[in-house]
Amino acid sequence: MASQTPMEDTMRAKIIETLKPSTLEIHNDSHLHSHHKAMAGSTSQETHFRVVITSEAFKNKMQPARHRMVYALLKEEMAREGGIHALQLRTRTLEEETKQAE
Amino acid sequence: MSALTEIKSEGDWNKHSASFPPTTLQIIYFKADWAAPCKQMTTVLETLASSYPVTDPPTTSWICMDAEEVIDVSDNFNVTAVPFLVLRRGEQVLETVSGSDATKVRTAIEKHANSSSTGGVNGTSITPSSSTTGAKSFSTHAPTQQEPATAPEFSSGEVKEDKEALHKRLSSLVKAAPVMLFMKGTPSAPQCGFSRQLVALLRENSVKYGFFNILADDEVRQGLKEFADWPTFPQLWVEGELVGGLDIVKEELSNDPEFLKPFSVAKTHNAPVKESPLPEAA
Repeated sequence: MASQTPMEDTMRAKIIETLKPSTLEIHNDSHLHSHHKAMAGSTSQETHFRVVITSEAFKNKMQPARHRMVYALLKEEMAREGGIHALQLRTRTLEEETKQAE
Repeated sequence: MSALTEIKSEGDWNKHSASFPPTTLQIIYFKADWAAPCKQMTTVLETLASSYPVTDPPTTSWICMDAEEVIDVSDNFNVTAVPFLVLRRGEQVLETVSGSDATKVRTAIEKHANSSSTGGVNGTSITPSSSTTGAKSFSTHAPTQQEPATAPEFSSGEVKEDKEALHKRLSSLVKAAPVMLFMKGTPSAPQCGFSRQLVALLRENSVKYGFFNILADDEVRQGLKEFADWPTFPQLWVEGELVGGLDIVKEELSNDPEFLKPFSVAKTHNAPVKESPLPEAA
């Protein structure tokens, strides 16, 4: 049974394996951007993602460093033609997530 | 936003020179197309110019000339090397900057722009409501041929810059203004939702910034991804350091609403730029 969401599956697998997140949300926002000029000619339904990750791996790291960790994981998928075009990231530690929920 | 205009002959220069209102800060840049540092300086000045609104009468006027083409004018201003910048008001030369130090150039321009008699607030070029110098509303402005922002004439078609030259160019570019936004499109016509949101965020916080349209220059678009080790746009740089994209800027602001305060128009209004607690002064 082939997956309809190969990109999302890959992302999930990689993030879980490396960052061991306590929270992981992957939202596919591609349909919101499919009419954009840059997306003309694209057949992929998995181009724009919004990802929320809570992981202790982010502890003591500034935001750019955290985002770079995720970019490094998904480097190939982002560089690939027809791969990930846009990636919105929310990277927090458990402490920050709790604090922000208050 | 202002544009860098090229003047090709002494006759043209004399005409222009006679027409400047006495309060306008003339930013006159002498260059030579064969000199590599001039390419960078041109981009830096175009980007800087874009952060100054077009006003009536003009607060700033940005001119560039090929030093060898207008040899009499160059002699007049004692241009001995390029790139060479002359800052003038009326007939009085205020300051000159020789060489390709982008920060030096920017500092000199800001110093004199902010001390102009009109109280020279060079507000963000896209904030009709907070601008005090009668800048026009750009919210419905569509990009025209004159839209400066980048140096399209220097991208593909020109000799392929080698890695090192590109690196130097990018180093200068990220420091072209204290806050630099590399975006898709221009603040008046963003070509991407995330770029548009970041522009709005900067406007809401009255931030004065320079911008660069990466869609108009593929070399910078790809080069900057590598230089910054950051695969996406928009990118916000502060004091030559990458802060991040829309998400990070939003997050920083929610953690600390004063995060961009040192760069806001409100703070620098009627005060010399140097007073702001810029990290690089520490």
